[in-house]
Amino acid sequence: MAKVAREMVERAGVDVDTLLELLVKNAAAELTTYYYYTILRANLIGLQGESLKEIAEVARVEDRNHFEVLVPRIYELGGRLPGDMVEFHNLSACPPARLPEDPTDVMAILKVLVEAERCAVRGYTQICDMTAGKDHRTYDLALAILNEEIEHESWFSEFLGEGPSGHFMRRGETSPFVSKFLR
Amino acid sequence: MREFTLQELARFDARDGRPAYVAYNGRVYDVSESFLWRGARHQAMHRAGEDLTEAMRLAPHGPEFLEGFPIVGVIKGGERDA
Repeated sequence: MAKVAREMVERAGVDVDTLLELLVKNAAAELTTYYYYTILRANLIGLQGESLKEIAEVARVEDRNHFEVLVPRIYELGGRLPGDMVEFHNLSACPPARLPEDPTDVMAILKVLVEAERCAVRGYTQICDMTAGKDHRTYDLALAILNEEIEHESWFSEFLGEGPSGHFMRRGETSPFVSKFLR
Repeated sequence: MREFTLQELARFDARDGRPAYVAYNGRVYDVSESFLWRGARHQAMHRAGEDLTEAMRLAPHGPEFLEGFPIVGVIKGGERDA
């Protein structure tokens, strides 16, 4: 635990226990999404499915990265992760991104993917709102994750044909915003 | 349709087998089956049994998220948690 770092955040007026609960819930959402996306990715087959597989894989790997960078911040602020994986799954900030009943329905998979990303965008926006100008480190981290979640949402949304495409697949390494926290 | 005072609503906190109800804009919703209301709390900030009308203004989503849940009543006399 970083004692003074936590104290600074408390003095700035942030309810650190509530913030920690949100960070743990979002860490749970990231790790469970990584798991569920593994299944979704495996089921993205055929002409339609294969065209989505690459972005589903990038989103999957980046969501795991988000989990990895959230955990140190949770411990720095004096929080902890549940000892039980089932408990961790069930407190997720987002509903499970389960494989649709018809696993060959690529559009249904795409809707699961975009809804998962939208949930994440809402969650990190809330954390940014809560920490802006008060908890600089958590804000910086949440903003980096938010940038990647917004891109994930855009990719899937564009495949759904919801609007013109302004985004392209990653060139080079994954997690361009979050990578500084992974070093 | 059943009418709830805010005090009555507060009893539906998902404890001891009671359902989880929340109010928004005068309507009372049963969120017991929601994954995001497990443990009778939502996103570390809200509890079952509360009127969320004011809180919704600051939420990162709109009231459409309540639309899928059963409406089990209304708040008595348009009473609100301000």
